[in-house]
Amino acid sequence: MLYFVGQVLPYIAGAIFLIGVIYRVAGWLKAPVPFQLTLFPAPTGGAGRVAAVGTELILFKSLYKNDKNLWLWAWVLHVSLAMVIGGHIVGIYFLMNQFTLIGMSSSASQATSAFLGTVSGIALLVALIVLFYRRLANPEVKKLSDPADYIDLLFVLVIALTGNHMRLPGVHVDLPAVKAFMGNLLTFSPTPIPDDPIFIAHFTTVMLFMIYFPFSKMLHFAGFLVNRAMLVEAAPVYPTPAGTPLRSPFAGAKAPVADSGQAKGVQA
Amino acid sequence: MKIPLHMAKEKDLQSAGLVAVPEKEQQQALLKGIDEYRHWARSIMVMLETCTKCGACANACHSYLGTGDFNNIPAARADLFRKIYKRYFTWTGKTIGRYIGAEDYDAETLAKWVTYFYQCNECRRCAVYCPFGIDTAEITIAARSIMSAIGVVPRFMTGVAANMIKTGNNMGIPKPATIDCCEFMEDEMREETGLEIKIPVDKPDSDILYIPSSADFFSNVDTMIGVAKFFHAIGANWTIPSTVLEAANFGLLFNNDAMKEQNQRMRDAAKMVGAKLVVQGECGHGWRAAKMYTEGSNGPAPFGIVHILDYAYQHLGKLKFEKLPWRVSLHDPCNYARAGDIIEQPREILKACVTEFVEMTPNRERNFCCGGGSGILMDEMMDIRMQLGKKKAEQVKELLPLDFLATPCSICKAQMPHVMKHYGMEDLKMGGVMDVVGKAIVLA
Ligand code: HEM
Ligand code: SF4
Ligand code: SF4
Repeated sequence: MLYFVGQVLPYIAGAIFLIGVIYRVAGWLKAPVPFQLTLFPAPTGGAGRVAAVGTELILFKSLYKNDKNLWLWAWVLHVSLAMVIGGHIVGIYFLMNQFTLIGMSSSASQATSAFLGTVSGIALLVALIVLFYRRLANPEVKKLSDPADYIDLLFVLVIALTGNHMRLPGVHVDLPAVKAFMGNLLTFSPTPIPDDPIFIAHFTTVMLFMIYFPFSKMLHFAGFLVNRAMLVEAAPVYPTPAGTPLRSPFAGAKAPVADSGQAKGVQA
Repeated sequence: MKIPLHMAKEKDLQSAGLVAVPEKEQQQALLKGIDEYRHWARSIMVMLETCTKCGACANACHSYLGTGDFNNIPAARADLFRKIYKRYFTWTGKTIGRYIGAEDYDAETLAKWVTYFYQCNECRRCAVYCPFGIDTAEITIAARSIMSAIGVVPRFMTGVAANMIKTGNNMGIPKPATIDCCEFMEDEMREETGLEIKIPVDKPDSDILYIPSSADFFSNVDTMIGVAKFFHAIGANWTIPSTVLEAANFGLLFNNDAMKEQNQRMRDAAKMVGAKLVVQGECGHGWRAAKMYTEGSNGPAPFGIVHILDYAYQHLGKLKFEKLPWRVSLHDPCNYARAGDIIEQPREILKACVTEFVEMTPNRERNFCCGGGSGILMDEMMDIRMQLGKKKAEQVKELLPLDFLATPCSICKAQMPHVMKHYGMEDLKMGGVMDVVGKAIVLA
């Protein structure tokens, strides 16, 4: 069983995650965008478009204009999530010594890393609980919600709880062993999972979440990019510049009653 | 469930070139339509699959705020589509449908679709406020187009389409009547100014093809007069086409094929008179269709396309005005501000023409729709239209007293007087921005 969880499941989860996300996004991208959906006032130029989508991505600007309360918690959720994911990658790789790279002493780096990790972990937990509460307390949102909307939050909540558990005072996780285990997984030479029930619980829920991810609305992160890209596309210019390709087969097809008697009537 | 619209019958559909699908085959036909549409336009799949049900769009939508009807929340409206889409086109929907909110097609599905997709004004305000920019207007456009292809469409829309096919304009004005109207307006202008100001119809070798809204020949004559005076002032070589006396493109509002055809008419007319520039009159969605859909629906266009307000703004320095002593505000038509990039031009024009210009709150791309957008002008919808106009009325009320409210879009011009009357502001004067230009301009 531990063999399966530690040395087989991660590859299944990783494959489903990657293939699933790519398959769904590719499915969207295969369909043409027959008309420019530019939402005005629109940014101009490549840099302007990247900046517009970038500030949306980092600051959730549209949400801020709209609902400051939801903005706060959604933003805390995502920033702490980003910190946690970043921390996993960097912190585990450097065994919390990443901040020595910017001149801190090893002990200061470990303290900073532990502090940031704890703060992000708790912020994530609080944001998830608040958003879950909001889903129940706001009648409109409650009526909009499907069972999956609650389960999504609970799923992440379980991951955050098991993760935070490892940080409780008195609980000790053998970080170098975890690092070695993860390193071996990523280099496709898997070794047994460290025999620590709290870590195993955390690790397993994350694997299950990765399997769940491509089938869920978690894909909103990709939808964000694909959708925003459509909204900031440059508006068409006329006369159409020579060499502009047809946007979709629809543009090339003959209009239903084109060159109808109506148009001919002009000469008469 | 009772549909608040009068739906097209067999012969209405025929007159608009559409066909009815027998009730037994409707489900299959609808699903086929959805399947084709999702591969036809990327927006549908992306927008249906990206919503996190955060509910932030609820208070962005005047339709929900005005009616208080849950299904008018943008996400809930899109969900009417999404539930069916999930059930029949996603793995999870096919297997654990209940869990992700998928729903079977049933006897109510189409009734709900018609009811609520015709209470969306396609105003795109939700797209401005959704964290992902999900544009429920896109879902509405898709749903209406898919439904009309299986014969489920309001009679009002087929009526407009039939007029369009017969005469090239929504009102069904034949060419002799057009010429009469133009002569009448020329007489008016001669009396007022003593000048020979022409409204040329089908004049060959014109540089500019001006496409008015057909309503400018009935209810909004002042707009047409303002435009004629403006063209006179800049010495333009222009004409209007008797064959496309219509800036509006109702195809965009109920059927993409009809949209394509109407767009082709504009091209044919421009070619016929040899115009290098098409100038679109005061019509909101018509402007969106011309600016944003011309390339996409019939390929490259060999002529320029500009809006009359943009064109007038470009010539503002050359025009002379005697400022009207008016306090004026502007209602931004949704299809100008959010969908057509006509934002500052009407403001600058109005500021040049009147002594006091005031903004309503919110304005520009955050403005609320008048409640008539997307062609919901049916009489049978009057009660609902008044609810859809509630936010607008509240906005205007805060600005009173006003001498004039500029509503430079034919649908706004048709909807707003009803709204103002309903909310106790029947004395408010309204009209286009070009109306004001016509009144303030000093002609040599
Ligand atoms: C790219 C821009 C993104 C935006 C604008 C965005 C926005 C949102 C919003 C508005 C919610 C709804 C909160 C609620 O439940 O009421 C949400 C939930 C959530 N997002 Fe994002 N998100 C983005 C990217 C991401 C990314 C990259 C991830 C990482 C995997 C992510 C993970 C989550 C999770 C776990 C939830 C909570 C579960 C749920 O309610 O379904 N998001 N997001
Ligand atoms: S604001 Fe956007 S993501 Fe949120 S419920 Fe509305 S459509 Fe969905
Ligand atoms: S387009 Fe306008 S009317 Fe339609 S759902 Fe969005 S905000 Fe509401």
